[in-house]
This record gives sequence, structure tokens and C-alpha cells, in this order.
Amino acid sequence: MKKTIPVSAVFLALFLITNTLIPQQEVVMRIREGMPIIPVAIPEFLTQNNSPDQASAASTLREVIISDLEYSRVFKPLPEDYYQYIDPLNLEDINFKKWESIEAKLLLSGQVSENRDGSLIFEAKTYDVKSARFIKGKKYQSDPSLLRLVGHKISNEFMKIYGEPPIFTTKIVFVSNRNGNDELYMMDYDGYNQTRLTFNKTRDYMPAWSTDGKTIAYTAYNNQNAALYLFNPFEGTRTLVTDHGTSFGADFSFDGKKMAFCSTEDESNSEIYISDTNGKNIRRLTFNNAIDTAPSWSPNNREIAFTSDRLGSPQIYIMDAEGANIRRRSFGGNYHDAPAWAPTGDRIIYVSRVAAVFDLYVLNLRTDRIIKLTEGYSRNESPSWSPDGRHIVFSSNRTGTIHIYTIDYDGTNLRRLTSRGENKLPNWSRK
Amino acid sequence: MKKLIVLSVSFLLVFSFFASCRKKVEETPPPPPQVKEQPKVEKVEKPPAKEPELSEEEIFEQKTLEEINAEQPMEMIYFDFDKYFIREDAKSILRNNAQWLKKWDSIKILIEGHCDERGTEEYNLALGEKRAKSTRDYLISLGISPDRMSIISYGKSQPLDPGHNEIAWQKNRRAEFTIIEK
Repeated sequence: MKKTIPVSAVFLALFLITNTLIPQQEVVMRIREGMPIIPVAIPEFLTQNNSPDQASAASTLREVIISDLEYSRVFKPLPEDYYQYIDPLNLEDINFKKWESIEAKLLLSGQVSENRDGSLIFEAKTYDVKSARFIKGKKYQSDPSLLRLVGHKISNEFMKIYGEPPIFTTKIVFVSNRNGNDELYMMDYDGYNQTRLTFNKTRDYMPAWSTDGKTIAYTAYNNQNAALYLFNPFEGTRTLVTDHGTSFGADFSFDGKKMAFCSTEDESNSEIYISDTNGKNIRRLTFNNAIDTAPSWSPNNREIAFTSDRLGSPQIYIMDAEGANIRRRSFGGNYHDAPAWAPTGDRIIYVSRVAAVFDLYVLNLRTDRIIKLTEGYSRNESPSWSPDGRHIVFSSNRTGTIHIYTIDYDGTNLRRLTSRGENKLPNWSRK
Repeated sequence: MKKLIVLSVSFLLVFSFFASCRKKVEETPPPPPQVKEQPKVEKVEKPPAKEPELSEEEIFEQKTLEEINAEQPMEMIYFDFDKYFIREDAKSILRNNAQWLKKWDSIKILIEGHCDERGTEEYNLALGEKRAKSTRDYLISLGISPDRMSIISYGKSQPLDPGHNEIAWQKNRRAEFTIIEK
């Protein structure tokens, strides 16, 4: 399965590095435009002996890594037929000139061997082809059932070489009714390992990952209220944040210190609140009779984007994290909602409704230019960014049933991740 | 009396004339089937107990919350697209509902706000809450104590009609009433 990636794709990546030593946060921006996609040679992985177990592990592992790097928009695995023009990889004596001749900039080698206890050992090494230099290598020991995870970890290391945030071990949490009731599920970024997290008779709704990827804030419908909980799916613990009114739509600040959410606890009208990430010290931020909903933190933790219908129809606004300095940021439509601030800081994605169709739009905050990301007579909604800001997960009913999809920041590379039941409200973990 | 005699004589004459025309052979009619005499079964029944006259209150008292809710004593109301104000047609329904609530003044209710699928998840959840709130506020204006009413929003997650047309959407833009205490 080949995916075409435009070689001349233009990247605009902005990295925010916060310096914790200085009280006044300094923002360092690194802007890269027109970054070329880097071709990587990933020849067949080597095995210690030719046992079927090792051979199949080697081929699965390679497939996972190739699929990851193709998805990255940073690297491009060489086409399979290029490898026939040169001799197979010999790790003892790598002929870098040959690898350069098939246009490889980087070379990733993989080896599979067997431990005495039967577990498999995987070794990945990265070389820079032009300078004929070994860059980095790592060994993994694992049960064969965790092969995909090992592959994602190797791909992550690859991203780190170039200073890119590793996204391949991130998780997407979502709501599905595939087993009858709306429950929380999670899956790998690529749709593999779909796992059920909650087992209730009641409805679970609007999950959101905490910054460290360990906790999920979500709304649980009990008989008479819709309470906000913090849920650790790995330890199975759950704590209540608030059960007054309907509380929902949490979003965690990028520094992992605060949580913003909506609640109707004071005036039976949705307002925005913030609290510590353990749900304590709840403080109200918005005060008016209109609906205020869907908070989303800016990556510098200083601002919050949200939806409000204070002027009659739902529009996107930005306010300071203390609730002051509210300004409108969406125009030219009468229904905008679900803003999600890109981790790169420069863009906000949101849903716009025209007639009965919802599409995703990306607003560039610096240029005020808007890109329409989805097209189709359907409802595309609930967008959430990948940690590197290059991909978006969202739900769409384009097939007639609501499913979860990912799409790249420029509207390419649409992928469907779910197949059973209705699947909605996806949220992409930051780690 | 004379008339009667004349009538009966003429009848006899006519009859005897017809009888004489018939065959002379008399046919013996088949014996009637023997009917076995069935012993009469006497049904022993409880003397009909007199149904105690339950007052409306006592009937109500005996019902569970589920039974009362199944009867839907409070009619749901509908809303306009994207709106949460109480429509004219909903006002008369709410007046009936308020009367019922005044009659059964121990009852507590949950008002559920719902939306159709043409709103986004986030905004709809807030809008459903607004619909429940304006419903509650209208009932308060009709004299129902706010303590007796709590509200919740389900957004678009619980459509009544799964269809994708105006009829379904209208059904789904609603406020429903559930009795939670009596």
C-alpha cells in the first residue's frame, strides 16, 4: 500500500520552548518553511536465523515502521522496487555510496534475534547516508504480541533525531456504541488496538486526555446529572470533579497545570470554568446569559479559545486564561463551534455549519487566512490535533454512520480508523 | 268468538284437504339421539369481593415511579431549530403540566433538554441545557417551586427519532419530563 506524499509540501512548523528558569516565559520560535521530505531507506530487516517466527516478526515490524514514517509527513520511505538496484544490506560493511545512489538520505536497519527465554530482541540502527555515519541505535526486548508497539517506538526515535515530537505511541480516546451503550474506548493513532475502557449501564461522553496522557476527563451520565470525572484507565481509578448541573468538554493546559471545562452548575447555563488538573480549586471564567462552551487552551497556556453565542449565534472567541480580554475570532458564518488550538500555536481548527453540513476549517491566527479542510455533504466535527500539529482526528457521518477519521493539516491523507458501531468525540493524547 | 270458529273450521278444512293428498304411509321419525345426562357442575366461587373504592390518591400511591413515567402524565414540548424559547404551542402543554404538578404536589421532576443532529456536539449540549432551563423557568412562572425541578442536557445523544428529516428533527428538539420522586 503506497501513499503518495507531495515532495514539495510546504511545512510551517513553530515550536514553542518554554524556559522554566525565567519567570516571564520566553517563547522561542523556530520556523521552517519548505522543508523537504527526507527519503529513508528501510531495507528488509535481518534475522538471526531464518525461523518463521523471526521472519514474520521482522516483516511486521518493518511494515509498522514504514507505515508510521509515511504518515509522518517528514520522512518518506523509499519505494520497494528501489532496493532491487543494489546489493542487500550488509551491516558489517555498509556501502553508503550505493545507498546514496538510490536517493536515500537516511538508512534504517533492523535486526531480529531471539533471547534464551524465547522473547524476541529487536535492534534498530539509523545511519546518515551522505556522511556515512552511524547516528543512533536502540535495542528492544519484547513479547511478540507487542510488536506494533516496538515498531512505533522505533519510529518515535526516528522522529526525535530530527527534533520532531514523537506521535506514534499516542492514543486516541473516543466514544463508541459498538457494544450497545455509549462507552469510552481508546486506540493507537493508526486505529489498531481498539480497547474498551468503561463498562457502565449509563452513557459516557466527551473524553479528553490529560497533558501527561495518564488521565481522561469525561462526562458520565447518572440518573439525574451529567458529572465530570477524572479517570485513570491504566489503574482503573476515578475521581469526581463536579456533579452539579451538566459538566463537560474538558481541555488540559499544555503545561499540565490547569483544566478548563464547561458546567451549568451556577445558573443552568453553560459557562467556562478552570481548575487544577486534579479537579480542585474550581474557578468560574465566564459570566453572562449566553452559552459559553468548548474551551481549548493555547499552547503557551495564556489564552483559551471557546464558543459563545453572546451575539446571537455560536462563534469562536479567545480570552485570557483569567477570563478577561474576550475577542471574537470567527466571522462570515452563523454557526462556528468546537475550536481546537493547534499545538504549534499558530492555528485554530473549528467546525462551521453551512445549511445542515458541518466542515472543518483551519484559521491561521497570524495571517487570518482560513483553509477548508473537509468537503462532503456530511457532518465532520469534534476535531482534535495530533501532538505535532500535522494531523487531526475527527468524526464524520460521510458513510451514513458516524466514524472516526484522521486527516492531515492540509486536507490530504484521509484515513478511517473505526468500523463497528457509531464512533464519535475523538481526542488525541499529547503524549 | 264467531270469527274464531269460522277461522278454525276453515283452517281445519284446508289442512284436511292437504293431509288427504299426502301419502298414506306414515314414516316413523328416527328416535331422538339419546342424550346422556350430564351431572350439573356447580361452580364454587368466592363470593364476589367488593372492590375497595380506591381514591385517586391511593391509586397514585400504589404505582411505582416507572409505572407513572410509563403513562407520561406530563407531555413533552418541542422547540424551534437552534432556539430555546418556549413556543406558543408548548405554553398550553406546560400549563397542563403545571396543573398536574400542582395536583400531585409531592412530585419532583427531571427536565431533560434534547437537540437534533444538526448542531455540533459541544454547542448542542449547552443548547439542550438552555431548553431544559427555559422549560423550568416557564413552570416556575406558573407557580411550580424550583425545588421540585432539576434539569439535565443530553445534547443530541438521545434522539427520539433516528431519521434524518424535518419530522425526525422536530421530534428530537424537545424537553422531556421524568418523575424522579413522589
